[in-house]
Amino acid sequence: MQKFFKWVASGWMLVLFFVGFFLFWEYSIPFFEIPRYILPAPSEIVAKGSADLDKLIYYTGVTGLETVLGYFIAIVLGLGFGIAISFSSILRRTLYPFFVSIEMTPKIAFAPLFISWFGFGLMPKVIIVVLVCFFPIVLNAILAFNSLSNELTLFYKSTGANTLITFFKIRLPAALPQCFVGFKYAAINATVGATIAEFIGSDQGLGFYISIVTGNMRPDLAFAGIFFLTCLGLSVFGFVTMMEKILIPWHISMKRINT
Amino acid sequence: MKKFIEITDLTKVFVSGNEEIHAFGPANISINSGEFVSVLGPSGCGKSTLMLMIAGLLDSTSGKVEFESKLLKEPKTDIGIMFQENTLVPWRTIKANIELQLELRGLKVKDYQDQIYNILKSVSLEDFADRYSNELSGGMQQRAAFCQTMIHDPKIILLDEPLGKLDAMTREKIRADFQKLWMVKKPTVIFVTHSIEEAVQLSSRVILITPRPGKIDREIKIDLPYPRDLNVKRSKKFINYLTSIHEVFHKYGVI
Ligand SMILES: Nc1ncnc2c1ncn2[C@@H]1O[C@H](COP(=O)(O)OP(=O)(O)O)[C@@H](O)[C@H]1O
Ligand SMILES: [Mg+2]
Repeated sequence: MQKFFKWVASGWMLVLFFVGFFLFWEYSIPFFEIPRYILPAPSEIVAKGSADLDKLIYYTGVTGLETVLGYFIAIVLGLGFGIAISFSSILRRTLYPFFVSIEMTPKIAFAPLFISWFGFGLMPKVIIVVLVCFFPIVLNAILAFNSLSNELTLFYKSTGANTLITFFKIRLPAALPQCFVGFKYAAINATVGATIAEFIGSDQGLGFYISIVTGNMRPDLAFAGIFFLTCLGLSVFGFVTMMEKILIPWHISMKRINT
Repeated sequence: MKKFIEITDLTKVFVSGNEEIHAFGPANISINSGEFVSVLGPSGCGKSTLMLMIAGLLDSTSGKVEFESKLLKEPKTDIGIMFQENTLVPWRTIKANIELQLELRGLKVKDYQDQIYNILKSVSLEDFADRYSNELSGGMQQRAAFCQTMIHDPKIILLDEPLGKLDAMTREKIRADFQKLWMVKKPTVIFVTHSIEEAVQLSSRVILITPRPGKIDREIKIDLPYPRDLNVKRSKKFINYLTSIHEVFHKYGVI
């Protein structure tokens, strides 16, 4: 209960800001005589968007599936490669510099190629999401698994514990906070990747919807699409944040004490 | 006859880039089983480096370490070692951190519950068993780390400035407790410290290390009865030991 009051106390400024922001938007449209095909008022976005609600919800599902599927594949691959590279000096000298150099290219540039290779379906979008999520995850995982403190390394060596026990009791928990930095970064990339992939070539999804309605001079519907996309992005990010709280509660409380 | 631990011409030179740091040695040290040996020297003289080499956790540049005539080639596991920085992990409570030592060694945690409680009690941390290490002060963390080092009842104990972060009173108490424990179980102890008083109070022998690169200046056998309580510490002999060690380091300009 106390927590709730605290939350309200710290949240009311944010709420006030949002209310103010939308009010300003709503009333500046008539005030500055902005034409509705340039920028519609929030009330109009809600009204027109509700009429298209079924489609919007369905497309959110489509884009959501691409996002979530790609994101989880990227986590599995990124963690797998990250751990492999951390434990193999050969991979560290070959695959690692290769990944670092690919990291420099904007992955989204591959999108048109993938669409032309794999068509308009689900697969090319998932591949693009995997691609934009994979690198932050793998690079942070490598960093995570290589930054065990010198003392802890010496400590487990002095116990004679085998690699497997050491991995699960020391290396993995020690690496999780840094891994989550990668997961969160990737969560932001995921919806961006799915949307742009849909811009380039698709026949459904929120990205497709936004590009079509914009072409039809319907910015009100475009904003409705953007709203659903925002909700999707926030849910993915919220899920990762929740997992972080569940898996490494000690890390959260550590941050709280340190700040 | 070789001693329990035999250290011969042991040297460490760290190489970073094209720079060489001569950190320790060459030095020869022999240690009997059940001895309490302090390694005393100013900071940076190579005490930690020496301890890591004895534990088999750091390769020497030259020379060798032998335990019971067997050449040390890999990390020694039948020991309890406490590093200068503590090895408590933030994702475990104090109690679970002590259990970590047992788990890594494949020992049954269940069999040690009483021992864990007793050792925590001996350092007055029994009420903090379920706290996380970041909720404890530096001195409390050090005491918890001490428990982590000792819980599996090691016969060889290596401690790197274990009481450094403690306040004077707590330090005094843990010294006494540790001395009692040593008198009963007679483990072989190598105790790194920069406190002259602590070295003289606890050890059967003190090894004085020169400033870097650390070499052995001399070894002083401390011929005082155990337990070395306040009466012993007030004695003329005890004070004389302190003074003579002071003079050695004064000569080097350390004190
Ligand atoms: N890993 C390392 N690389 C390079 N130099 C080191 C390393 N560890 C210790 N040294 C150097 O070796 C010397 C002895 O260090 P150390 O054994 O930690 O001293 P002490 O424990 O007596 O304070 C110091 O000059 C230190 O800078
Ligand atoms: Mg040291």
